[in-house]
Amino acid sequence: MCDGVSLLRSEIPQRLIRQFKLESRVVVRGEQAPEEIRFLRREGRPWLPAWHAGQLGIHAWGCRSRQEQGFPPGAWCHREHLEAGYWRHLQPEPVEIPANYVLDRGIWYVVRDGLRGVLLRRPRDVPRVYVLTEAASHYYHVMTRHDRMPVLLHERI
Amino acid sequence: MNIILGRMLIGFLDADCFYVSCERARLPHLMGQPVGVLSNQGACVIAKSYELKARGISTGMPIWKARPLCPEAVFVKRDFAWYEILSRRMADEVRQVSPAVEYYSIDELFFDASWLSRTFEAPLSEAAMRLRERIHSRVGVPVSVGVSRSRTLAKLAAKSVKPFGCRVLLDPEETKSFLHDCPVEEIAGIGWRSADKLHARQIRTVGNFAATDRHVICKLLTKKGEALWWELHGEPVLPLDTIRPPHKMVGRGGSLSGPTRDIERLRAWLVRNVERLVEALDRHGVVCETFSLSLRLESGHYIGDGTTLPEATAQFPRLLAAARDIFNRVYRSGDTVTHMHLNTERLSFRHAVQQSLLDRPSAQDIETARLKRLINKRVGRFAVRSGATLPLHDIYADPTNGHDICDIYGKLCF
Repeated sequence: MCDGVSLLRSEIPQRLIRQFKLESRVVVRGEQAPEEIRFLRREGRPWLPAWHAGQLGIHAWGCRSRQEQGFPPGAWCHREHLEAGYWRHLQPEPVEIPANYVLDRGIWYVVRDGLRGVLLRRPRDVPRVYVLTEAASHYYHVMTRHDRMPVLLHERI
Repeated sequence: MNIILGRMLIGFLDADCFYVSCERARLPHLMGQPVGVLSNQGACVIAKSYELKARGISTGMPIWKARPLCPEAVFVKRDFAWYEILSRRMADEVRQVSPAVEYYSIDELFFDASWLSRTFEAPLSEAAMRLRERIHSRVGVPVSVGVSRSRTLAKLAAKSVKPFGCRVLLDPEETKSFLHDCPVEEIAGIGWRSADKLHARQIRTVGNFAATDRHVICKLLTKKGEALWWELHGEPVLPLDTIRPPHKMVGRGGSLSGPTRDIERLRAWLVRNVERLVEALDRHGVVCETFSLSLRLESGHYIGDGTTLPEATAQFPRLLAAARDIFNRVYRSGDTVTHMHLNTERLSFRHAVQQSLLDRPSAQDIETARLKRLINKRVGRFAVRSGATLPLHDIYADPTNGHDICDIYGKLCF
């Protein structure tokens, strides 16, 4: 589905890099390649960048365990479930997750603008962002061997 | 400023890792990254950057084999519509500096380089470099350029300086020493069968080939080999084809996006491929006399057959009837099919064919075909298509399936 996203460092404001200590996440894939900042699900405190209410912010990504009661466990939200109203009690709001590359089952693939996501809220808790998913296209299924894929912004692969 | 006046100079322009370069032209952050372009199925790497090649990834390698070799690789889906735009822009740039351009393949062009020096008001080698830089800055694609006295030498020169290099090969001594160690397989037109024949005679380098008696080469490789011999001696015998010669055959088909034995889906693929075939025949303005269908089974075996049509045609109902007839004869229920190919031969230009007086296509068929062409031209390809293709809704939903490499017309090579 989505195990992480990578965004060019130049696309993240310096104040967010400082605030969230993102320097440690900077990587380059080649000698001449630009710097990227990675947001991986497997990290201790998984975060995702997201555009919400006209602002780019860094948000907690999903919910790691059932012990964090109230939020659905996991990192992804089925589009069909959202549309059926299953998540209504968490006041879902749409967000856009900017990304240049997305990771799924060890495969990094290029995306044009990013992914669609949803921001969920609970009283007295920090909001959480989930990646919206849908049934995988044939191409995506062959590439990643996954039957779900993220909902991409402004494109379909 | 040409140093050899009165003789044509041939240029060869070869885009460096073209598909990846096209992606980099619109996504500059891919510069310096190990990039692989995937087939429409998402299964195989069909093009790679030099960074990916350095990690041992080759063209045609399945993605699950490529991933462990380079976990940092980034993959992108192929987009032939975009590649065609840049390919044609590249050709247009060359046409501005050359009176004759051959659109050889999507990423290769031959051109008359006789005026290159005069156009750029510079010595030939500098003019070639300026052309390379002009294409890089205006199209966004890095290219390598070779200039020599023949196509074969120009192509060898360009290949030897990839990526982003230029080589002018005119001096006979320099040419001789350049050819000396170059493997004979590097010559365009020498496939593995020809190479085997040459190796058996200890002809292993281009230098060996050029030094061998012309009659021996002719005996081994027929007149085609002899033409290459002349070309390697700087005598241009293979002309520039600025207009593509008429096709001897036109075909359409390919992978079925995964193995299938679903009869409805197979019949839908048959109709889709006939529609694409009719479109191609229309585009070339030809009708065909023979039609054949070939199915590749999951076992690796091929089944199929051909037929001679009652009269030369490019009409959808008639070709579909022929396709269905063959399909019903050769396909056994339960066979899993991976690929389907339709082919037509014995082509004639429409205006040169005597039409049947008795078995004319109906006015309704003619009008339906005309309207279909008209609407699809205005609204978009496959906007109007046969209802029998409905089981392939997933294929039509993916816009990259609407433009394949065979839909790029005018090039000489696939």
